[in-house]
Amino acid sequence: MSTTFVPRARLRPGTVSGLDIARPVNLALVGVLVLVTLVAALARVLAPYDPIQPVGPLNLPPFSPGHLLGTDSIGRDLLSRTLVGVQSSWFSALAVVAVGLVVGGTVGVVAGASGGRVDAVLMRVTDLFLALPGALVAIAIVAALGPGLTHTLVGVVIVWWPYYARILRGEVKALAARPHVEAARLVGTGRFRLLSRHLLPGVVPTAIVTASLDVGNVVLLLAGLSFLGLGQQAPAPELGADTSRALSQLLSQWWVPGIPGLAVLVLTLVANLGGDAIRNLVSGRR
Amino acid sequence: MSAVATQPETVRHEAVEPVATVEGFSLSLVRDGARTEVLHDVDLVIRPGEVLGLVGESGSGKSVLALSLLGLLPQASRPQSTGTVSVTGVDMVAADEATRRRVRRDALGAIFQDPMTSLNPTMRVGRQLREVTHDDDESVRLLETVGVRDATLRLRVYPHELSGGLRQRVMAAIAVAGRPRLVVADEPTTALDVTVQAQLLDLLRELRDDFGCSVLLITHDLAVADQIADRLAVMYRGELVEVGPAAQVVRAPQHDYTRSLLASRLSLGSPRDERFAAPGADAPAAVVVEGARREFGTRRRGQTVAAVDGVDLRIAAGEALAVVGESGSGKSTLLRMIAGLDRPTSGTVEVVGGGGAQMVFQDAGSSLTPWLTVGETLAERLRGRRLPRADVRARVEDALAVVGLGPEVARARPAQLSGGQRQRVALARATIVPPSVLLCDEPTSALDAALAKSVLALIRDLRARFGMTVVFVTHDLAVARLMGDRIAVMSAGRVVEVGPPDQVIDDPQHDYTRSLLAAVPELVGRTEGAA
Repeated sequence: MSTTFVPRARLRPGTVSGLDIARPVNLALVGVLVLVTLVAALARVLAPYDPIQPVGPLNLPPFSPGHLLGTDSIGRDLLSRTLVGVQSSWFSALAVVAVGLVVGGTVGVVAGASGGRVDAVLMRVTDLFLALPGALVAIAIVAALGPGLTHTLVGVVIVWWPYYARILRGEVKALAARPHVEAARLVGTGRFRLLSRHLLPGVVPTAIVTASLDVGNVVLLLAGLSFLGLGQQAPAPELGADTSRALSQLLSQWWVPGIPGLAVLVLTLVANLGGDAIRNLVSGRR
Repeated sequence: MSAVATQPETVRHEAVEPVATVEGFSLSLVRDGARTEVLHDVDLVIRPGEVLGLVGESGSGKSVLALSLLGLLPQASRPQSTGTVSVTGVDMVAADEATRRRVRRDALGAIFQDPMTSLNPTMRVGRQLREVTHDDDESVRLLETVGVRDATLRLRVYPHELSGGLRQRVMAAIAVAGRPRLVVADEPTTALDVTVQAQLLDLLRELRDDFGCSVLLITHDLAVADQIADRLAVMYRGELVEVGPAAQVVRAPQHDYTRSLLASRLSLGSPRDERFAAPGADAPAAVVVEGARREFGTRRRGQTVAAVDGVDLRIAAGEALAVVGESGSGKSTLLRMIAGLDRPTSGTVEVVGGGGAQMVFQDAGSSLTPWLTVGETLAERLRGRRLPRADVRARVEDALAVVGLGPEVARARPAQLSGGQRQRVALARATIVPPSVLLCDEPTSALDAALAKSVLALIRDLRARFGMTVVFVTHDLAVARLMGDRIAVMSAGRVVEVGPPDQVIDDPQHDYTRSLLAAVPELVGRTEGAA
């Protein structure tokens, strides 16, 4: 009595679950995420003018001929400044999340997989960092190292990685309690292989989802810090700093501070919706 | 109640109006994106005061039929049906939610497989009972009716503080509180130990006698249904293949499927495997357990419970020992200590000689790494030997062939395999390099009877082929008898009796063994009740 038959449908990986419209919508949102990344990457090419040099009349409103989003108080093209600002914001946020994920992920996975003393020490260190007030530490670090984008990023990463450590440690711990890990140990699988083959792939979906939902938060935090003058230094374009510097024009020429501010809003929204979409797509497959 | 007074009096039954009628009922549901027919042209009548046993393997559609009767079909699966399912004259599929809810409240009670998930974990038992009884005195009376002792005290506890058997009794109390005409019990005893199962089955029959309600008992185990059912209905792939008085179905089955179901059932009288001779007393030992004790800390500080409480065992090389016990008897902990996954608090557990021990787990699905293919999983055991790639592949395919699986399975992931296939893969992993000791932790308890039987046969084949020592843990005496040269009965962390199967089963020495034997459901084919 051999039961070797495997239905074809079962061998086809990733069968679609449900035939509702959720999937196309999610895919479209991820598409928008990719589009924003492309625009950010090609900002210098797409920008019609040099974002730093005055190129036209002062304070032109949006939809003026030659200047789609108008100009600021010294005649710089707002579209060019916003595009380059989006570039620095977007890639800074991605970098912070990526570094946080690598550092926090390593700490969390090692702690969760080792257990015992290693776990205790690593997690108490993580707790120490979690106890620091986030934005304040970033401000303090920038104040100590001097203003500049790199210093801001270092400051943000320091307060950001512990979250990933926490979440991924929990995931690994839950996975490590599953019988398949014991079965692998019984078979004689080594420590490193156990970690890399039997535990790590299981936390990748969680890591991706957590990280993608976080990009929006980092965009906001970075914009907030540079609004306070702790980010990219003038005259380089930066969304938060541009909003802050032109704030006095809010009532007379709203678009000068308004457009970089709106760009932050759109970026955050795209990041959050895209993150949600990724979560839905990943969890649907599990 | 005369909601269907106009129904023509057919000659099929006496003038008694049925509690529930299923007529030409076909149902399709959307599963994994595809619409599949799960019930096909089902006709069934449940008469007042009868216990009807609905038997079928997993996926046969029996639970979906129960949900249809309860009017609880999952709307997310977008059910489409033809025919009718009426309870006390109300169509439970077509009627609006308010009507169905009224019928559920007035005429129906339900008991499900897992009372832990069907009771609300955040509410005390008393409050959940009060929702249906509206009165604590009535709740206490009900709990006493279903055999709960200290009922007044039990009102104050949460579901997790009760044992599985007690939880199921509380569910039964809630189910009969509204004096229902029909109690639907879906696999109510599957999660319970045999002795508790026997009590619960008695309880269901008593409820019928005391309250005069009908009971629809759904189970995969023909013998369980046969214990208390007046009539049996056998379901196969969404169709009712046979309905009749219990005695007739069991003694003279009409349908091939019923016959195969009866044949695949293991009983204490099934023929044993003649291939194996019990090893002599001078055979070298493969596993030696001496005074093994394993304590676990409890939530209260400084307090410990001994899961294994002083066990001495000597298992000879090539011998098969079946360890029988109910949940919590310490049999799995003992097995884990032999595997080296756990250490005794005191005493020694030793696997003698090379080759080591490999283990097959109860839930094969979760014992396989979900994202690795079967081939990758099997190849892990060959890693130390630095074999060329082609050799690894050949050995993997050989190992799969030995357990009756084709080479294409190597490319599949566990989620793409059926339960039986997964357990075969787990066996292939354990034997791709033959171990000296094979440990089995209830490997067939989650499988349907026919599948379980074939996996048990496979384990015996592997034993014969590789000459392994086998330690087989099970809660089922019939399985233990089939698999072991000796049976060890465990209770409360101790081995209370060890001996050859015939001796343990025909002439049990310990009270516990006797009560275990008495509770094993056997097919008797009762004649139809007094109805």
